Amino acid sequence: MSAVRPKSWYLEKLAQVFIWFFLIAVCILVLIPLLFMFTASTMPAIDILKLPYPWFSDHFHWQNFWNGLRGPEGDFIFVRNTLNSLIVAVSVSFFTVILSSITGYGLAKFKFKGRNLVFMLIMATMMIPFEAIMIPLYMVVTDMGLQDTYVGLIIPFVANAFGIFLMRQFFIPFPDEVLDAARIDGASEPRIFWNVVLPNAGPAIATLAIIAFRAQWDNLLWPLLIVQSDEMKTIPLYITKYMAETHSDEGIMMAVAVMASLPMFILFFTLSKYFVSTEGLHSSTKG
Amino acid sequence: MRPKQGFSMEQKKARWGWIFVTPALILFSIFSFYPMLNAFYESFHNKNLLSLRPPRYVGWANYTYLFQSKDFLNSVKNTAIFTLGTFIPLLVVSLILAAFIMSIKKFQRFFQMAFYAPAVLSSVVAALIWLLIFDPRGIANQGLNTLFGTSGVNYNWLSKPGMLRLSTIIVYFWKYVGYFTIVFVSGIGSIPHNLHEAALIDGANRWQDFWYITFPLLKPTTLLVSIMAMIQCLKTFSTQYLFITAGAPTRPINVITLNIYYTAIKDHRIGRASAMSILLFLVMFFFTYLQLKVSKTEEVTYM
Repeated sequence: MSAVRPKSWYLEKLAQVFIWFFLIAVCILVLIPLLFMFTASTMPAIDILKLPYPWFSDHFHWQNFWNGLRGPEGDFIFVRNTLNSLIVAVSVSFFTVILSSITGYGLAKFKFKGRNLVFMLIMATMMIPFEAIMIPLYMVVTDMGLQDTYVGLIIPFVANAFGIFLMRQFFIPFPDEVLDAARIDGASEPRIFWNVVLPNAGPAIATLAIIAFRAQWDNLLWPLLIVQSDEMKTIPLYITKYMAETHSDEGIMMAVAVMASLPMFILFFTLSKYFVSTEGLHSSTKG
Repeated sequence: MRPKQGFSMEQKKARWGWIFVTPALILFSIFSFYPMLNAFYESFHNKNLLSLRPPRYVGWANYTYLFQSKDFLNSVKNTAIFTLGTFIPLLVVSLILAAFIMSIKKFQRFFQMAFYAPAVLSSVVAALIWLLIFDPRGIANQGLNTLFGTSGVNYNWLSKPGMLRLSTIIVYFWKYVGYFTIVFVSGIGSIPHNLHEAALIDGANRWQDFWYITFPLLKPTTLLVSIMAMIQCLKTFSTQYLFITAGAPTRPINVITLNIYYTAIKDHRIGRASAMSILLFLVMFFFTYLQLKVSKTEEVTYM
């Protein structure tokens, strides 16, 4: 029986070989630029421009990382800018989570006149792309005297319609009996929110925090509009100014690229569950 | 006494509801609604960013100017080329990759993670890496020269208009293909198993199973992915901006977002920039509206 194989068996095998070949080929193509970044970051610039590119060098040119940290003028401006990126991304992430939970909780668990209207208004902001309002937004923030400040970098992104939607959906199934029991015990509403509701929202909070953090870590357009001084620059601004505009040493460029991606890689490898699975709706949020 | 207390409890709750949603409403008013209304307002006015003079009403002049401006039409063309050139390959390739991943038994998660890896980088870093790859001495030229058996041919990735456009498309495609693959994988994964089994019992081969079962049922996901990809592409900014600051010619990759930025910040013409913003808004509004409609209907497709 098994000696005579039908034609479809061979076709099936052939298809399988092709599928594996295709997947592996695409995988290599996709990973080559990443491999290039990592290898080039450990080479002196002369090696990177050698023809052909030497994929593996025998010694680790760590000076790229040191020079990258020192910055073009040796004043460690890159460290300062990295700190700015962290401050902005962590703050936006923190305040987005807090505000989205409060608002989402209010919309999910309290009945009040106009609640549906409030919800619709908030959802409507998802239709407003950041790119279309960035110029008026820039004028608003400048009029408030917030250009070149952390507050100016953070505040436009704190109210996040997608975040509110996410938290609202998460809180709707939360049992009302638990809330009422706490009320009968005499707990105040803010206290119930803080001690009873919020501690149970872990997964939703993690998802939202990562989405907000990534959006700000990646943000070039808004800092480009409102940051003026070198001290307030974030990493994307640092890279456009010192890596692209004034063409830097190629090895240092890639070392900076690696260092700028480090927080993301750490998040990716530790929290990949929240990182990938829930991203489906993330494109419609601003940032 | 009792019913009255219950009534005031309801009232108290309603008050707390308002207290919980008010901070967000205030922030949205200042940072979303007002700027949106302001963009409409400014688009009918003439205003210089640096002058203190109040905006002057000009009617539709900003819009009529835009539709005659070569610079604006050029950036519409660039955005259209970039969007179509990116989202169609993204859609096709990520669907193929997802179907292939779902058809193998091992390493499914490995391939998903590998394809997704570039999305971990920020757009500026992604563009920076490709800036070196597209260098005349970079590995893009070396790769093509090895492939075609030529030597020393420079494909001018960052200087010839067509190649420059292709370069920005490649960067974007590379960064997002894994993300959309994962969206498709979860779409394929949510198709009930018994449908495939029924098809296989009826004697369908794997190709027929994909073409007659998976693909039609994947239509909502496909629609959702294409709209999401389109919205992403219309918003593109970082790659083009970084390439231009690194010395690439502006004209072929001057997309709308870049044009808005330059018009407002370099030329100080707020009215024109706002009119462009409104046009971009209208296009993206249309697609976002479609996306919301589609994602709402998606859950009930296997009935």
